[in-house]
Amino acid sequence: MIQNIRSSGIGIVLGLIITLMFAPQGIAAEKPVYGGHFPYIVSASNFPSMDAHREVTFAVVQPLAPFYSLLIKVNPENPSDPTDFVGDLAESWSANKDETVWTFKLRKNVKFHDGSLMTSKDVKASFDKVIFPPEGVISSWKGYFPMVEAVEAPDDFTVVFKLKFGTKAFIPAVATPYLWIYKADILAKDMHWYEKNVMGTGAFKFKDHVAGSHVEGVKNPDYFIKGRPYLDSFRAIFINKQAPQVAAIRGGRALINFRAFPPKTRDDLVKALGDKITVQESPWNCVLIVTPNHKVKPFDDPRVRRALSLALDRWEASKTLSKIAIAKPVGGCVFPHHPLGLTDEELQQNIAGYSLDIEASRKEARRLLKEAGVPEGFKIKFHNRGVEQPYKVLGIWVIDQWRKIGLDVEHWVQPTAQFYATLRAKKQAYAVSMDFNCRGVVNPLLDITKFLSDDIVGNQYAEYQDRVLDELHGKIMKEIDPVKLKKLLFQFEKRVLDEEAHQLITLWWNRIVPHHSRLKGWKISPSHYLNQDLVDVWLAKE
Amino acid sequence: MYRYIIRRILLMIPTLVGVAILVFVLMRLLPGDIVEMRLASEGAYVSEETLDKERARLGLDKPIWQQFVNWMWGICRLDLGESMWTGQPITYEIGIRFQVSLQVAVMSTIIAVILAIPLGMIAALKQDTWVDYAIRIFSIAGLATPSFWLGIMIILAFLIFFTWAPPMVFTPIWVDPVANLSQLIWPALATGYRYSAVATRMTRSTVLEVLREDYIRTARAKGLWEKLILVRHALKNAMLPVITVIGLEFAFLIGGLVVTEQVFNLNGIGKLFVDAVGNKDYTLVQGLVLMVAFVFTITNLVVDILYAWLDPRIRYQ
Repeated sequence: MIQNIRSSGIGIVLGLIITLMFAPQGIAAEKPVYGGHFPYIVSASNFPSMDAHREVTFAVVQPLAPFYSLLIKVNPENPSDPTDFVGDLAESWSANKDETVWTFKLRKNVKFHDGSLMTSKDVKASFDKVIFPPEGVISSWKGYFPMVEAVEAPDDFTVVFKLKFGTKAFIPAVATPYLWIYKADILAKDMHWYEKNVMGTGAFKFKDHVAGSHVEGVKNPDYFIKGRPYLDSFRAIFINKQAPQVAAIRGGRALINFRAFPPKTRDDLVKALGDKITVQESPWNCVLIVTPNHKVKPFDDPRVRRALSLALDRWEASKTLSKIAIAKPVGGCVFPHHPLGLTDEELQQNIAGYSLDIEASRKEARRLLKEAGVPEGFKIKFHNRGVEQPYKVLGIWVIDQWRKIGLDVEHWVQPTAQFYATLRAKKQAYAVSMDFNCRGVVNPLLDITKFLSDDIVGNQYAEYQDRVLDELHGKIMKEIDPVKLKKLLFQFEKRVLDEEAHQLITLWWNRIVPHHSRLKGWKISPSHYLNQDLVDVWLAKE
Repeated sequence: MYRYIIRRILLMIPTLVGVAILVFVLMRLLPGDIVEMRLASEGAYVSEETLDKERARLGLDKPIWQQFVNWMWGICRLDLGESMWTGQPITYEIGIRFQVSLQVAVMSTIIAVILAIPLGMIAALKQDTWVDYAIRIFSIAGLATPSFWLGIMIILAFLIFFTWAPPMVFTPIWVDPVANLSQLIWPALATGYRYSAVATRMTRSTVLEVLREDYIRTARAKGLWEKLILVRHALKNAMLPVITVIGLEFAFLIGGLVVTEQVFNLNGIGKLFVDAVGNKDYTLVQGLVLMVAFVFTITNLVVDILYAWLDPRIRYQ
């Protein structure tokens, strides 16, 4: 027995030793490591200017966001949740009862890269530039703040937003990744300074920019979050073609392309690099929308538009097209599975074109076409953008689906510049076109403005006016009760997609980001504009 | 000689003016609007008022003739204007990319000349032997192979066998020669090979022609060494058409390597061209076309001067 005890004792000790040998490694493997240079790809040629208040392209955000801070931002620990926001420069925020006054308390230890202290004056000046741009200054984000009456800075570390009405659109709007906080003194001297220069409070300081080549930044030792950033430096490399992007990642010249790759490229990279590659995927806050021109017959008839939607087997497409395209989630006007949007069951039961019984849907589609006087073999010229992913892939799918209800569809593809010119011409330049809606922070109340009357919003190209929708949206913007808000949004989606079938949602995009496994601390979000400040990014040892 | 050079320089002016008019008109015939591209793409909503203000700022609201006059007046003052996309001076945008394209062009030319002249001569001397056939196959393969495809193959070979890719960011040679050459040698080889194919065939043809001349027979009859005959007599006379080919190809390489630059992600003139056209950046495209036209005309002039240097008969004419 003593021997047994001794043996079992030895066994326990051995077991402990073995556990101790491996446990620290298991724990230490995920502990952030300081140091390292982080090269990454920006899938563009260059940015037009450095001023994010002015520009809309991700080519500005991805290389330059590390130099700046926002007031609040999407939670980098949980970026897939479109309702989870954390403070960046703001320590905390609160609202009054009817949510018409929002008070943000700022951190007190934030410095610009020139050493000067960031105060509420800077936040006010930055938001004033966006919301109330002076003459000669362009703000591409002004339209996100129709609710703001004034921005005030009652003391050095408090900013107050006074709203004309309480709205659930406000907080997501403030978290827009383009709303960098600039230095008030600089803006006072020259409102255009930030178009060609960098001065922020971000985790990295600007080092170099070569137009068309790269942007470099180095660690900000005075960053307001102690212990951050982990990286010593980064280099954002402009590579706008996929082949060299893949070569750069395979050859270790870059660790990630923050935008996305199509499924085949993901599979090729995984095959080539094995466990050296990690893949993150997420539904993407971008959607392709089929846009029938309401001023072109027979698309002025809601029966015809409904028929076009009924023909599309979205659920099957989600399974099959996601193997070859960056398109997958099925959804309505609101980002899929957002708490305010329609659930899958609600879509299937209430919205034309989302039923699981596609044969019944297509039968109904043919009936509607016949009723509307559209003959078998009716010719449609479907206008699309000359970009493979996912425009042309989804375009071919749409054409195939419409042919199943007896329509003769021709694919009319134009390069990007001409595509936009045709779309925006508003002279019935097309009959049916692909359009898209791509946003940053998921903000359903603003994201659905795409579907309002074309004399209210400039980016609705279906050339219709629907005052019922406009009025409904007005109520949606002012409703702060989540239950009532969801009901109003249901009515909105029902009218857009079902009753009037003004525009047809195809599939929402699917963001696929394969990256080197060394890259840690970055979590994928529903938008290629979000989570780009590199604050939490670190590189594991090779 | 100097009068000839000055006359040629003056003749460049109507050429460049013609090119300027052509590119100005063509750009404005194409549909699309840089303001929409910049501010209304990616789904953003910007008001028509904002777009109109931006068009006014860029001068796009002025009559076409006025835009042309303003631009030409700038050209006369050697001011190419600013890029409508970035707002940076055109000279700045071109300057950054020019050094990359120039270095690739120079390296490709060196590779082409090193390959073409010896191979062309050997092929001519060993006409209709297996050596000649091998060289002709080599040069025809170069003509048939697109340089961008060869570039892709080079990159793939490195990736598959060595898991290595060339650097993606340009480093000037005086800063880090190793990084510079490890990036640019591959596009230079890819384009140089094709370039050399053209020059090899031209060299072979002209050397064959020259070797049949009376003065070569006389030189041989005089008992001169074959090497001396080839280098001093044959090669010099055969070089004239080859120089033309090399010169034109060099000029083409500045701004013509659109696809090759995309493959290797070179921040060169070709890539800038594609981006400028895609963005509808009128001023940048106009500036680039003028620059390329200027390079072509200058290269032609240099070639003609070289002609005069090589062939005294032309000098005296």
